Amino acid sequence: MSEAFTDLFSAPLTFNWTLSFRCNFVCAHCYSRFEEGEELDTADIRRIVDVLAEKKVPFINFGGGEPLLRSDLFDIATYAGRQGLNVSMNTNGWLLDGDAARSLQASGFKSVGVSIDSHQAALHDDFRCQAGSFARAVTALDHLRAAGVKTTMSSVISRINHKSFRDLLDLARNHGVTQIYLHNFKCSGKGFENRQELDLTPEEWRDFYVEALMVKEQVKDLAISFDDPVIASLPQYRENSLVKGSSCGKLSLHLRPNGDITPCGFIPLVVGNILRDDFDEIWYHSPVLNAMRSKEAKGKCSGCAAFADCLGGCTARALAVTGDLEQPDPHCWK
Amino acid sequence: MKRPLRNPQIVWRHEKRREEEILKAQERGEAVEDRGTVILIISGMMHQLNLVGGHIWSLCDGSRDVDGLIEALAEDFEVEREELVEDVRDFLADLEQRGWLSYV
Repeated sequence: MSEAFTDLFSAPLTFNWTLSFRCNFVCAHCYSRFEEGEELDTADIRRIVDVLAEKKVPFINFGGGEPLLRSDLFDIATYAGRQGLNVSMNTNGWLLDGDAARSLQASGFKSVGVSIDSHQAALHDDFRCQAGSFARAVTALDHLRAAGVKTTMSSVISRINHKSFRDLLDLARNHGVTQIYLHNFKCSGKGFENRQELDLTPEEWRDFYVEALMVKEQVKDLAISFDDPVIASLPQYRENSLVKGSSCGKLSLHLRPNGDITPCGFIPLVVGNILRDDFDEIWYHSPVLNAMRSKEAKGKCSGCAAFADCLGGCTARALAVTGDLEQPDPHCWK
Repeated sequence: MKRPLRNPQIVWRHEKRREEEILKAQERGEAVEDRGTVILIISGMMHQLNLVGGHIWSLCDGSRDVDGLIEALAEDFEVEREELVEDVRDFLADLEQRGWLSYV
């Protein structure tokens, strides 16, 4: 895809939607644990769904906070599905028993992702600061499978798992997961606070991705996904992505519990409110979004041959660490 | 006659604003073959169809057979009939082979 402004899509393809910042966990890497604010009622949530349907946004993914803490989650999903949206969510799995799994299935969820960060129960529980959370997360995957809901698994790569990610793949396989997301570590919220302890060095990130890409080529029974634009600078990366660099602000946006829109969950820059402001005005004319869509090479990115493909890597990480959207991604090894 | 039908599992969107820009570029004599007007999201991957491909895709709603589809396209695209027929059949065969389309 040309990056020309005139080629911009009419709306994002995905809204990552934090329905609530409330959570029953205090995970070591959580971007939102320090966040708080107004939560919309069901009627306003439905109004947002109407806006998204009118703009033909095809996908919404509920995250959080823990989505299952919203008692109206199933009603919201059912309504969104009827409006033509494809609904998915991510959960820590703690509250996902058999009844919840059947309700998720009945309310039309296309897939449900469960966060599991280590194949070792003790490590996962320690990372999530919740004894027994590994067992409940794995059981949640089984409940979902029994209810006929497609499952995915989300694992944030950090110092606790970067050398044992193959074991996470095995765990996913053993519980009928169709797709695993190996998320890159973000320096937001508690992730920023704990980054010295949890984040990898740029060279470790390079080594992880080289190995993970090799495994992805070999593995045929499980889809492995990465969401890290810095990976595009590796010669082993062969995907011909239609959009270069961070997809935030180009293919996806994030909704906070009060309807505020940010480019992604890890970038705390509010570009407007979906209930109060004109969506097209935000989408086409937000200075923040347009800055993210037309990044200039700064620092070591200047003159780097990889910039055309990675566009400076993860914008959220650059902003969190340097305060500047256009600075190089601190994970970059080049 | 069998009628081509898009795979209903495929999520897609017609990008009208992009199409308007592409039509303007085409009028200016620019090459537009690689610019998408319809996007498809399949297994998490995004694909795009150009002006002609997007138009064919939009028409594959199971309501018309291939001849009807060619008739509809001929109204919008100034191209030799023989060339149009060949292009449409090739494109439909490719979509079918990918599992993106079937016949009803």
